[in-house]
Amino acid sequence: MADWKGKTRGGSFGYFFFIKLIQYIGVRAAYFFLAFVVVYFIPFAPKATGSTWRYARKTLKLSRLKSVGLLFRNYYRLGQTLIDKIAIGSGMTNKYHFKFENYQEFLDVLNSQQGVIMLGGHIGNWEIGAPFFGDYGKNINIVMYDAEYQKIKEMLEKNSTGHDYKVIPVNNDTLTHVFQITEALNRHEYVCFQGDRYVNADKLLTATFMGREADFPSGPFLLASRLKVPVVFYFAMREKPMTYHYRFTIAQPVARTRDRKPEQAMLEQYVANFEKILREYPEQWFNYYEFWKK
Amino acid sequence: MTNEEIIEKINNILAEEFEVDKNIIKPDAPLMRTLELDSLDLVDVVVLVEQNFGFNITGEDFAKIRTFQDFYNLVIERTQK
Repeated sequence: MADWKGKTRGGSFGYFFFIKLIQYIGVRAAYFFLAFVVVYFIPFAPKATGSTWRYARKTLKLSRLKSVGLLFRNYYRLGQTLIDKIAIGSGMTNKYHFKFENYQEFLDVLNSQQGVIMLGGHIGNWEIGAPFFGDYGKNINIVMYDAEYQKIKEMLEKNSTGHDYKVIPVNNDTLTHVFQITEALNRHEYVCFQGDRYVNADKLLTATFMGREADFPSGPFLLASRLKVPVVFYFAMREKPMTYHYRFTIAQPVARTRDRKPEQAMLEQYVANFEKILREYPEQWFNYYEFWKK
Repeated sequence: MTNEEIIEKINNILAEEFEVDKNIIKPDAPLMRTLELDSLDLVDVVVLVEQNFGFNITGEDFAKIRTFQDFYNLVIERTQK
């Protein structure tokens, strides 16, 4: 059963160390140190290691040997994406290459003078996209859980690495975020969700993902199916060498049928897209908890 | 549309969408508790109002709504503008 608590692992010292390393020695030096951090994390983050191990064995059905390899690559890729986020946020964009899929279709949607909902997930480094959307970036609102947002905000402020997008923090005790989302869409802005994590276990949808049943938050899919705006599935995947591959898919409109609610139909489109990409980049799965049902 | 017609239309829409008995919708009853709304259901309220009455409810508007009567007043005021 999924039990993510709304906070992302990673101590303040760790972030601080890598931010300073990137600023003073460079990105490649940070990657070098990362290899040691990976070795530390495998035994000292047992919950995360256990969940990734079970992902490799039960979901990807890898052998024990291949699962060990995936575990190393997974932590290394996670560290790389965090380093890249800091480096790009500090203006080192010229060190990276960027590839785009369906970019023109995506820009046509952004230029269509209406709000847009973008759905991503905890694979790759989707948050890294905002600086590359140029003027569009100013209109991006990322919806994230309050506890996670407070931690990221504190670190970014402490180290003067800002971000180009706006954040809509979700707090289950208030209703403010719902109106912030609808008002942003009414202003023809773009609202981004990560569709694969929840903290409110009362509002879930279920789908078969990578061959196993899993729960997903109903909120993003309910909004995406009810509010009459275009929906784009968006992922930014890390590739060698120093490259990000942006993948955009425009969702088909969904309607209520006798057997299926529109939010379930939207979830199924999302899951099909998410699964296709995860199968191409299985090591970039960054949900460190028991994601699938037993 | 008269005020009575607007109120009748609101009650019909809310009863159908949130699957409640229309008789429990009374002007002085609390809107959220009576319809058992949570934050996600609010999206439906926003969409229903936009589709049926042609305006967008903001957070500021919603903060003033406690009872069904407050909700009727908001819709009547906006549709008559």
